[in-house]
Amino acid sequence: MDVNMQQPKIKKESKNKIKVEFERTPLKERLKAKFLNLYFFQQVGWYIFRLVLLIGISYVVLYPFFTKIAGSFMSPEDFVDVTVRLIPKNFTLDTYKAVLTELDYFQAFRNTFIISLICGILQTFVCCVIAYGLAKFRFRGNKLIMALVILTMIVPHQTLQLSMFMGFRYFDIWGILSLLSGGASIDIEGFEAINEVLAGIKILNLEDHALGLTNTYAPLIILSATGLAFKNGLYIFMLRQFFNGVPDALEESAYIDGSGVFRTFITIILPLSIPMMVTVFLFAFCWQWMDDFYTNLFFTTNKIVLMPDIVEIPSSLKMDYAGQNLYYAAIRNTCGICIILPLVVLYCFCQNFLVQGIERSGLTAE
Amino acid sequence: MTNEANLQGTVSAPKAKKRKVASLDRKKARAGWVFVLPFVIGFAFVYLPIIWNSIWMSFHELKIITGGGYELIWCGFDNYKWALTEDPSFVQTLITGLGELLFDIPAILIFSLFMAILLNQKMAGRAAFRAIFFIPVILSTGIMESIEGQNILGTMMESGINDGSGGSASTEIVSAMDIGRLFSSMKIGTDLVEYVVDMINNIYGIVNRSGVQMLIFLAGLQSISPAIYEACRIDGATSWETFWKITFPMISPMILVNGVYTIIDSFTTDANTVMTYISTVYRSTDGQVRSSAMAWMYFLIVVLIILVVVGIFSAFVFYQKRDA
Repeated sequence: MDVNMQQPKIKKESKNKIKVEFERTPLKERLKAKFLNLYFFQQVGWYIFRLVLLIGISYVVLYPFFTKIAGSFMSPEDFVDVTVRLIPKNFTLDTYKAVLTELDYFQAFRNTFIISLICGILQTFVCCVIAYGLAKFRFRGNKLIMALVILTMIVPHQTLQLSMFMGFRYFDIWGILSLLSGGASIDIEGFEAINEVLAGIKILNLEDHALGLTNTYAPLIILSATGLAFKNGLYIFMLRQFFNGVPDALEESAYIDGSGVFRTFITIILPLSIPMMVTVFLFAFCWQWMDDFYTNLFFTTNKIVLMPDIVEIPSSLKMDYAGQNLYYAAIRNTCGICIILPLVVLYCFCQNFLVQGIERSGLTAE
Repeated sequence: MTNEANLQGTVSAPKAKKRKVASLDRKKARAGWVFVLPFVIGFAFVYLPIIWNSIWMSFHELKIITGGGYELIWCGFDNYKWALTEDPSFVQTLITGLGELLFDIPAILIFSLFMAILLNQKMAGRAAFRAIFFIPVILSTGIMESIEGQNILGTMMESGINDGSGGSASTEIVSAMDIGRLFSSMKIGTDLVEYVVDMINNIYGIVNRSGVQMLIFLAGLQSISPAIYEACRIDGATSWETFWKITFPMISPMILVNGVYTIIDSFTTDANTVMTYISTVYRSTDGQVRSSAMAWMYFLIVVLIILVVVGIFSAFVFYQKRDA
């Protein structure tokens, strides 16, 4: 401190209070120093720029939803009226009424909910198990299996469309089922005797000598239970990185206390990774809910109504007029809104986990 | 590991019993196999037959027998030859598709990194912005994507009264003219101008597809120790320098991961040109086997691209040394 510093001027003094006045720069000067400099302008400029950018992009993200919602409340006349844009003139709920009552919405909702829940839980758990095995155990073939996981992610499922359908339509594990049901044969001449013997084995009695699993939930459940369903490679990868970040000491102390590998996994590792698991579950559930590739592939009849089946025009709303195309597009979008509404609710509850789960994961790319 | 092995050595029972007790490493390896068992079983019994079948089919001609059933006739590389030489637009589509890929990947990577950095800063309403930005990841897939594909509602809402002069969010945010003028006065090549204009006009698609990447980048940014930034600030680095000297190298492994993920993701979506073409071929007469031949060729090309990208990127990736 400066030795020559001025003593503070005493303004008022009472028994237990003292009011002093320091010699200080006037308010104007202080404000000038604080606000009239480059640093401050930079900060403000950056703040405004950032805000504008974020709001702009939020608008871009939300805009399609605005149009969908606006369109869903419009009556047919609004679509031929050029003065109507985002706000409907003749407000109506007819579209919703028709979609909800005529299109088996609730049946589709129930079926899709069941399958998404089963697949979501199965995928989360199975991916956790696989990822834990890949992250924490050094065994021969570890790297190979990781490569295979990535391979399943790279091969586009559309490539396998035909084979996947055939595979589940005539479900058979390397010919074992067909052998057991007497459908096996060998294409070499002179071996008829063997063929007869093979045909004699009829332990299982199956049509087509294989299980027809299409139009049931089975294909999706099988794919989920083995970590092969949609984007499961990504989940396994994310969870593996997460488990890599969990210190080994945690498990070692559990082992020393006499806990087995599996008990350690269930009682220590799983509770630890709940935010990450919620994230994965959210992805799995929502992507299964919105999925139209697998559902169209495996559900060829209309016996089980699922969400993709209800994107159509309700019969009471069918009409011929100039704005027909737009009107139908709006109805289809209304169906879309009805489909995503449950997910929006779910997302509102889970979105904290989505960010935190990954943030706290210490996810690294090694 | 070595510690445990030593421990095992000193504690283990007398020689007679030694054979029965598996070493800890061996036990752990066995447990590891049990953990990955679901995947191994699934891969061997479900996935491998499917892949095998698909490759097998692509070398065959499919003949549907009248009265049900089908017959496969071996025809070697005919399907591949057909796709490459006779099919009118496969090669063309492939080239444009790969071009799009090369265009999209840098755009998505740059955008998601930029957004992740923005969303990582402390500010009012950060949680709300994050929630909004991750909406497309959850909601704009599958069914919504196919509804969106034939959607004319958005354009109608925009052009209803304005005759399009106001521009529209989903089709064109900026007119190419304005940006073009801006850039040409800056003496930058027209290719770059086009690239930027396309990128801005495509912003909805890019935002839609960069959700997962943003999450991964955010996670990466969170794992950088604040102490490093503090040290930097004390040494007088500007935020620009901090980005290039600290954030960028530290996040580079994530860039690699995201690059690979983006390639995989953007070439397997339904929206991809080549994928769309393949599925139209799939639906045409006797196109099933031809489409699988095309798909496998496409797959090989993309694997090659991924290998090249990984090869190039990993030369620049910086791994922070961690004390395990």
